[in-house]
Amino acid sequence: MSNVAAVIVTYNRADKLGKVIENVLAQDRPADQVVIVDNASTDDTARVLEQYEGRPSVEILRLTENTGGAGGFATGMARAHERGADFVWIMDDDCYPDSDALRELLDGLEAAETRMGLRLPFACSVVRWSNGDICEMNNPETTWDWGKLLVHGQQNVLVNACSFVSVMFPRWAITQFGLPLSEYFIWFDDQEYTRRVTAAGPGVQCLKSTVTHDLGANRGVNFADVNANNLWKFTYGVRNEASYRWHHEDPFAAARFAQRLFTGLRAGKVPMRLRLHLARKFVEGIRFDPQPRFPRTVL
Amino acid sequence: MTETSPLGTGQGLVYELTSSPRLFHDLTPRESRLLDGALTFHALTRPDENLRVTVLRTENAHFPALTDQRTERIEWADDRTVVGSVTARHRAAGDQSRITDLVVDLGGPPAKLVGRTTPPGRLFAARDRVRSEVPVAFDALRQLRTDRLENRRMARPIPRVGSLHERAPRANRELPKAVLFGMHWLELGGAEKWANQTVELAKAAGLLPIILTDQTSAHPDIVRDVFDGALVIPLTHPLSNVQESRLLARLFSEFDIHGIHVHHCVWLYQRLPWIRTHFPWVEMVDSLHIIEWRTGGFVDVALRMSNVMDAHHVISPQLRDYLIDRQGLKRDKVVLATLTDLTASRSGAAHHRVGSGPLTVAFVGRLTQQKRPYLFLRLAAQLRRELGDQVRFIMHGDGELAAETARQRARLGLDAVMTVRDSTVPVDRTWSEADVLVVSSDNEGVTLTSFEADAAGVLVVSADVGSQASVIADDLLVPRAPLQFLKTATGLIRRMVEDPAQRNTWARQQNQKMSDFAALPKAREWTRRLYEGWAS
Repeated sequence: MSNVAAVIVTYNRADKLGKVIENVLAQDRPADQVVIVDNASTDDTARVLEQYEGRPSVEILRLTENTGGAGGFATGMARAHERGADFVWIMDDDCYPDSDALRELLDGLEAAETRMGLRLPFACSVVRWSNGDICEMNNPETTWDWGKLLVHGQQNVLVNACSFVSVMFPRWAITQFGLPLSEYFIWFDDQEYTRRVTAAGPGVQCLKSTVTHDLGANRGVNFADVNANNLWKFTYGVRNEASYRWHHEDPFAAARFAQRLFTGLRAGKVPMRLRLHLARKFVEGIRFDPQPRFPRTVL
Repeated sequence: MTETSPLGTGQGLVYELTSSPRLFHDLTPRESRLLDGALTFHALTRPDENLRVTVLRTENAHFPALTDQRTERIEWADDRTVVGSVTARHRAAGDQSRITDLVVDLGGPPAKLVGRTTPPGRLFAARDRVRSEVPVAFDALRQLRTDRLENRRMARPIPRVGSLHERAPRANRELPKAVLFGMHWLELGGAEKWANQTVELAKAAGLLPIILTDQTSAHPDIVRDVFDGALVIPLTHPLSNVQESRLLARLFSEFDIHGIHVHHCVWLYQRLPWIRTHFPWVEMVDSLHIIEWRTGGFVDVALRMSNVMDAHHVISPQLRDYLIDRQGLKRDKVVLATLTDLTASRSGAAHHRVGSGPLTVAFVGRLTQQKRPYLFLRLAAQLRRELGDQVRFIMHGDGELAAETARQRARLGLDAVMTVRDSTVPVDRTWSEADVLVVSSDNEGVTLTSFEADAAGVLVVSADVGSQASVIADDLLVPRAPLQFLKTATGLIRRMVEDPAQRNTWARQQNQKMSDFAALPKAREWTRRLYEGWAS
């Protein structure tokens, strides 16, 4: 049987983390190992994690500094790879998987690969918001032939990219394409990584695998929403996406992104000072081109 | 040699002597078995002929010529001595009038056939001179080239040949059940040690081992007990085309070969598609040990032939990931089963010694280019300069670079502080004295010496090559490139001297990794089950 590692990355979410871990441990096809990466949390996270110390299938990695979601996922995935995982299932610390989420991912990926006749580099879940609606921030981008498996009766959709909220990568994809870019810190790390691995073929969204993303509001990324409080996140987002579009697509893609950014900021009547800040980040992104790190084979 | 002491397993099983041998000199046991292999080959490929075989040997450094086209020529070089002649024929052949004359050259003594061989030509001579005089600079360039080729190899898929045709069911036949082995040569080496164990396992399962080797060698290990009762055919090349197919076809018609296990034998690998076509019931597996980044090595050959094979046994996670993750083989076709129990026995965590005397740093291994003994010598010289009497050294091993290594040792002024031991000294003596083992190799699978060192409570500092990351503490893995290797390894060993507590931490990490690795499936167990299936 395949060895599956679940990786949970957490930072200052002590109130939700316990439920995430419990939902992962209660899977009807349990993960063989659970790696929890604590990104140097300063709240009660340590107290929550204490309860799971010493469990044979749980490993807690405590980082000495906050490396962002990107750094945390890279660390956790590298560790799972080192521990010999055949599949690595990753999620945020506010993602509550339903009890059959992992099994449905494994079954869905296997069925999709059999039908397609090739290896597929990831399988992701349907992400719901707390009220059962689709979670706007985590809806994956489909391929042009997204219904290829649906017409054969499979509850699977082909996708180009998805978020790091319940997505499972086979070992070979991590060996071949490396780890997420820690340098991105936060935002667009998931888009860059899933797009990177689709060089080998499309990903698959398994519609029977479902999770709930416990966000405060159900809203996707929208540059009209930029304000002084959330600017720090958009700062990373703009730099990272500009870098990706320029270095991994082409200058025209970067220009289209610039236009989308400009239009959004204008529509939201975002103060000029913040717009200039993000424009500088866009330019920084053109000079920013981190390279992937590859995990070491240990077991 | 009499009726009661046959030349080897082939006599009686494949061929019979038609008259008492006329020998002017006694054959050594090794020569008897080489001759047996040659007669087995010729009886199988000429089943209807009476063979009149002239047997030669030499005192010079020449390899045997047992099965190649030279055996058909009845003239030989001046330095060959005629040992005698034998007449033989296939055991199922009737009285035949046709006589075929053959000349089998048993070659020179094995001791004279050890050493580094350089291809002919001035260019290679100059290259070898540079390698010998400035080994670190030469190695630095070599590693740069390796990096480039490694990246290329990672990026390019290996082309595959053949396909797994429909498998035919095996018909039960009243013939000896057998397993066909392909081996490199019958000499000492890690891969050979494992190959020899599989021969034992085949015998234990009630299968007759038939062993083909394809490399030029004096085959000093042919006299080992493991080959008693095995049919050994050491091939020398070039064979004639018709003999190649005839040899394999006769083996399959005279023995009920249930499986093929290839250990580093390119000749047999390349004939697997033909065998798959004509004998589709035969199960085919191989054992792979190491990725050769510069040449591709056996792993490349195995990948090319993978479509006609049933399984690849690999001894390290690195190889498993390369075959499945990089080259796209199916997960159920690649079997990871380690050789941890091949030499060292793990009875639990060994206690790492932290004594008060000087730190003893050891090199244990063959003195070959792959193991880079010159790097160890440079490291020792550097440590000696920095730490003086706080360190001492042991160099344990011999091999083709022995003379060169001795010269470099003297040049670096290490004779007084380095104990030198050859392979006649039991390695346990070194383990009982050493604190640190340095693995300076430029390529490895997983080194057996690392297991032995850990079992003896010795810390291991290793180049980060092959699957060494599976068993060495993370901090003690050092870069493969020679200058970085020297700088990092010097720093680590200096720290060991200055901070004994850190040594204990590293020892615990090393022990944990070794234990995790030792918990992986074992090659002996997988192979035993495989052969029992073949024997049933």
